[in-house]
Amino acid sequence: MTGGNNGRRKEILQERKENRMPRKHRHISGADAAAGIGKWIFIGIMVVFTLYPILYTILGAFKTNAELTQGGHFLPSEWHFENFYQAFVEADFIRYTGNSILVSTAVTLLAVVTCSMAGFILARRTFFGKKLLLSLYTAMMFVSLGSVTLYPIYELLQGLKINKSLVGLVIALTGGQAANVFLVMGFTRSIPKELDEAAIMDGCSLYGVYRRIVVPLSKPILAVVALFAFRNSWNDYITSLIMTIAVPRLQTLTVAVVQLKYSVNAAAEWHIMLAGASIAILPILLVYTLAHRQFIAGLTAGAVKG
Amino acid sequence: MKGQKRAIRPAQRKKILIGNLQAYSFLLPNLILFTACSLYPVIWTLKYVFFQYGGYGTGEPLFVGWENLARVFRDRVYWESVLHTFTYGFGKLILILPIAFFLALLLNQQKKGNGLTQSIIFLPTIMSSAVMGLVFYLLFNAYNGEINKYLMEAHIISQPINWLGKEHAMKTLVITAVWGGVGNYMVYFIAGIQQVSTDVIESAKIDGAGRLQSIWYIILPMLGPILKIILMLAITSAFNDITNVMVLTEGGPNNATMVMSLYGYEYFFPISATQASVPQYGYGAAVSVVSALIAGVITVVYLKISRRLDDIY
Repeated sequence: MTGGNNGRRKEILQERKENRMPRKHRHISGADAAAGIGKWIFIGIMVVFTLYPILYTILGAFKTNAELTQGGHFLPSEWHFENFYQAFVEADFIRYTGNSILVSTAVTLLAVVTCSMAGFILARRTFFGKKLLLSLYTAMMFVSLGSVTLYPIYELLQGLKINKSLVGLVIALTGGQAANVFLVMGFTRSIPKELDEAAIMDGCSLYGVYRRIVVPLSKPILAVVALFAFRNSWNDYITSLIMTIAVPRLQTLTVAVVQLKYSVNAAAEWHIMLAGASIAILPILLVYTLAHRQFIAGLTAGAVKG
Repeated sequence: MKGQKRAIRPAQRKKILIGNLQAYSFLLPNLILFTACSLYPVIWTLKYVFFQYGGYGTGEPLFVGWENLARVFRDRVYWESVLHTFTYGFGKLILILPIAFFLALLLNQQKKGNGLTQSIIFLPTIMSSAVMGLVFYLLFNAYNGEINKYLMEAHIISQPINWLGKEHAMKTLVITAVWGGVGNYMVYFIAGIQQVSTDVIESAKIDGAGRLQSIWYIILPMLGPILKIILMLAITSAFNDITNVMVLTEGGPNNATMVMSLYGYEYFFPISATQASVPQYGYGAAVSVVSALIAGVITVVYLKISRRLDDIY
């Protein structure tokens, strides 16, 4: 038996080798070698194209203004760490960083909690007005009036007297999350309903089912919602700009960085701009290095379902 | 069953009521945000399309009927901005989609290095387009920017190019849009290619199909359904891009890069800190409603055409 098996294995290995041989041959042929080189040149160009502006930002944050504007080398001739001190202290970026951290954390939490609750109930229950609500949510995903809608939101927040605090910004940035609600809803549907029923048999309430069964099982999709909510709020510019128009000290990092463009001596502050830009992009880069797989997987999850 | 349904007992009714209340208690947090931030603004905008409503306390909104909409159709600057939106969108798609597709073809296999390369190409997607817009503003600066410096050092150009001037500003915008978007579409394409079963490609190879042939005859047609979604996403996103335009060129110079989303915005808020403007909310609302309709019509037309293509295949 074993001998026969071994013999077959050898046969298979032999076959594989033979299969591999022509492939190697093909690799040597001229056209293929050219294609291989072309492939790496193309990818190389794209990698350089992608990385260059990012490296320019981070390296530029350590240069002097003269070095930046009069053309120095790619690497800073001297590493001027004091640029960051200037940005943080003199340009008040400590405050803006704090605002950004506060706002992004709050938006992420709020988005995850509201989406998971709404997605859960829409997947599991029928109730009065559900059809109407679902069609409204869908409709709003397709109506894109753009940033113009920020004005009525601002007016509304003003009426509620929360336009002069970060609460207003958090509300405006979180928003309806229609796409994410559908994402969570779709995911919840894939969790077997029998689990809910079993839990209810065991005396669990609807809240218990949600908290003990569905939330733990939908962690992967909630992570996607959280990741994208964090990215969007951290990177947002227009909403944050408008919601802090009345109170500049509430500005987030992105707003503060871009406002440097309009400062009186902008021409002399390239190094501060780049230091500010680095402060704004480094946290998200850090999140990305830790969770790049989830970012990429989450994008396709959202695109396919949404 | 039917008889039972008709005679709902009070106890049952109470149970249904409690069920509904429970459901709404879950829905409420999201529903409040949805109403305040999605539904209400749309209704507000649709209402003020018919009003003259200026800023800075010029008084109560005045009902003007279709006047605002009629003005949109007479507004040359607006229709130029529509044209710019198409130019921008077309330029972006025509560059991004092939580049992203080839990157996906080259990087879709689970090989050492491919994952890292994917992550690098995807990187711009997670970065703030506003902050990077500012960085590009510095890079493309005509006199002090690094792009011109490198191009001149390499003797590709002898005079600095005014990247943000009237002639080149749109190209510059498209380049930055490609930078920011290619990773996104590469990931979509990879997801699509991985759905095409490798068996089909293998059997095509055995039948003597070359690499290009298998791309053209096997992968592309089989990508059909997902390609449609990708194109759709690409078209709608091109209409909505506003942040990079706002930071990089502010719609200028002289409205050369004014896109329709930014044009509507301008009637509500000043585009930059150095500009002052008197808001015209009613007219701005009309502009954005027309823009949304244009985007909607194009999406519908696109869907119709892509469905027609379905019938052919």
